[in-house]
Amino acid sequence: MESKFVRVGIRPVPAPRLRRARWYEGKPIASMFILGAILLGCLLCGLFLPKDPAYMDLFNVCVPPSGEFWFGTDTMGRDIFSMIWHGGRVSLCIGFLATLISTVIAVTFGALSGMAPRWLDDLLMRAAEIWLSIPGLLLAALIQAILGRASVVSISVVIGVTGWASIAKVVRAEVRRLRGSEYVVAARCMGAGFFRVLWKHLAPNFFSSIMFMVVMNVRGAIVSESTLSFMGLGLPLEIVSWGSMLSLSEKALSSGAWWIILIPGAFLVATLLCVTSIGNYLRTGGSREESNL
Amino acid sequence: MIRRNPWLYYGRKALAFLLSVLVLSAAAFYIARLAPGDPLVSYYGDRVERMRPDERARAEEKLGLNAPIHVQYVRWLRGALQGDFGISYKYKTDVLEVIGGRVGNTLILGGVGFVLIFGLSLGLGLFCAWNEGRWADRIVCRLGTVTSCIPEFWLSLVLILIFAVNLRWLPSGGAYSVGGTGGVGDRALHLILPMTVTVLGHLWYYAYMIRNKLLEEARAEYVLLAKAKGLSRRRVLFKHCLRNVMPAYLSIMAISVPHILGGTYIVETVFSYPGIGTLSYESARYQDYNLLMVLCILSGVVVILFNMIAQIINERIDPRMRDAEIVETTEVTGVGE
Repeated sequence: MESKFVRVGIRPVPAPRLRRARWYEGKPIASMFILGAILLGCLLCGLFLPKDPAYMDLFNVCVPPSGEFWFGTDTMGRDIFSMIWHGGRVSLCIGFLATLISTVIAVTFGALSGMAPRWLDDLLMRAAEIWLSIPGLLLAALIQAILGRASVVSISVVIGVTGWASIAKVVRAEVRRLRGSEYVVAARCMGAGFFRVLWKHLAPNFFSSIMFMVVMNVRGAIVSESTLSFMGLGLPLEIVSWGSMLSLSEKALSSGAWWIILIPGAFLVATLLCVTSIGNYLRTGGSREESNL
Repeated sequence: MIRRNPWLYYGRKALAFLLSVLVLSAAAFYIARLAPGDPLVSYYGDRVERMRPDERARAEEKLGLNAPIHVQYVRWLRGALQGDFGISYKYKTDVLEVIGGRVGNTLILGGVGFVLIFGLSLGLGLFCAWNEGRWADRIVCRLGTVTSCIPEFWLSLVLILIFAVNLRWLPSGGAYSVGGTGGVGDRALHLILPMTVTVLGHLWYYAYMIRNKLLEEARAEYVLLAKAKGLSRRRVLFKHCLRNVMPAYLSIMAISVPHILGGTYIVETVFSYPGIGTLSYESARYQDYNLLMVLCILSGVVVILFNMIAQIINERIDPRMRDAEIVETTEVTGVGE
């Protein structure tokens, strides 16, 4: 039977073609690739590097990049190409170690504050806020000065101890939100202790919300280390890191040796950029509702 | 509370402030004394190593370093309350004089930098929010992320390398030419590079925050209503959304003062700009206790004071913020420090 109604004025809209997103879409592939290459190079640098990064070749001081010294040599005659990879090891290691320390402190502190009664919570959070309002770098410099001569471990501890407060605040907010839920109450009724509840029930739930900040903490730690070492307050010259390589730059500036400044800095900035874009990827849930504006 | 009895409110704030400064001074005093290093070196230089024990004891007594720490602290506190902070071991003059000669330079760098950061980040944030999702916004966001990734000290080095060493357009450091008169033009010329680094180092952090806050506001219901009333897009964004974002922004800017000043410390050291930053760095390196104490307390006072200002701004301007968290910067901006 033919319909009596004739549809007028509705244009047929083709259904949107549903296409499964490819695995790489929306992921920071370039950043992951570059960071992976830098990491791999730093880990395996013992296998392919021809030169000893600590060897001071006094006949070849301040040589510009050439066939023998790919990235040139610094003002003490060390080969920059080898130093980059060995220094990257130290810089990245400090980044990860310091972040591990901050995260452990932050999770413990935040969870304690979140589970605590009102007055203790207020007290702890006020303390965290004060800690947060002191410029971290000054604090790190001060603590490092008290501890005396820096090593990789001591500087990681110093940076880790200064940089936990912002993560702790997020952990605390999340724990406050989660602590009333049935499964936490049930676990506590069954006699689970503080750390068990934290580890088994709370951590899996708030981990995704602090993931971004943890990654950013790696970035912050690498920046702190390089700044401290550059200013002569962190690692000494013998321990090669990207920051301590740059601490020679004052002499390099006067002699116009750009490679001593630009090359380690370029590696540093490239690493920081990759870490940032990976962090940003972890943060965004992506879907944002339409603007009313 | 603030509306019922402002005297009580501000009195309490002042009391809390004084207490914090007292605790801070005690902590700084003990920490400085416990740190390794020999303060005599900064006073006598290399002569210390050749001193006989009895000479050394006399020198320590002269500087009051032989008494137990708490006695030294009480002595220091008594002097400080009368405005006498002791002498700098390195410069051999009154501490306040040494600081007074430098504090102006830092205030110029930090103050002008702060105003620039405040204004530019507001403009940039509005620009990005206005063009949300379009290419202009995307390019600015990309560039901003890159600038926020460049450590300040390295940016300073690169700028010195380009503009001072290679092009020879600008001086590489200091606050005025050696032997020069220190006229306004000369000082401004010396300020360009440090100011650029200070502003670039912080700008995107705040611009991105204001952008995101504005975009959050743009998704509120009242924007829909305003649009239905027939208000223009500009009016809605600049009048309604911006006004709702402002209290949070103001309080964050107040908290940012110590951080911007802390940033100038690094910049000052790289550019050997004679300010408080280079002075702190020196005094920490040479165990110049009296100087270090005053500088620590000064920094601490700035931190505490601006935190309180932020709190007061929050409570006065926007009653909704009374129970809210003040420091939420890292979560909102996603740039982190």
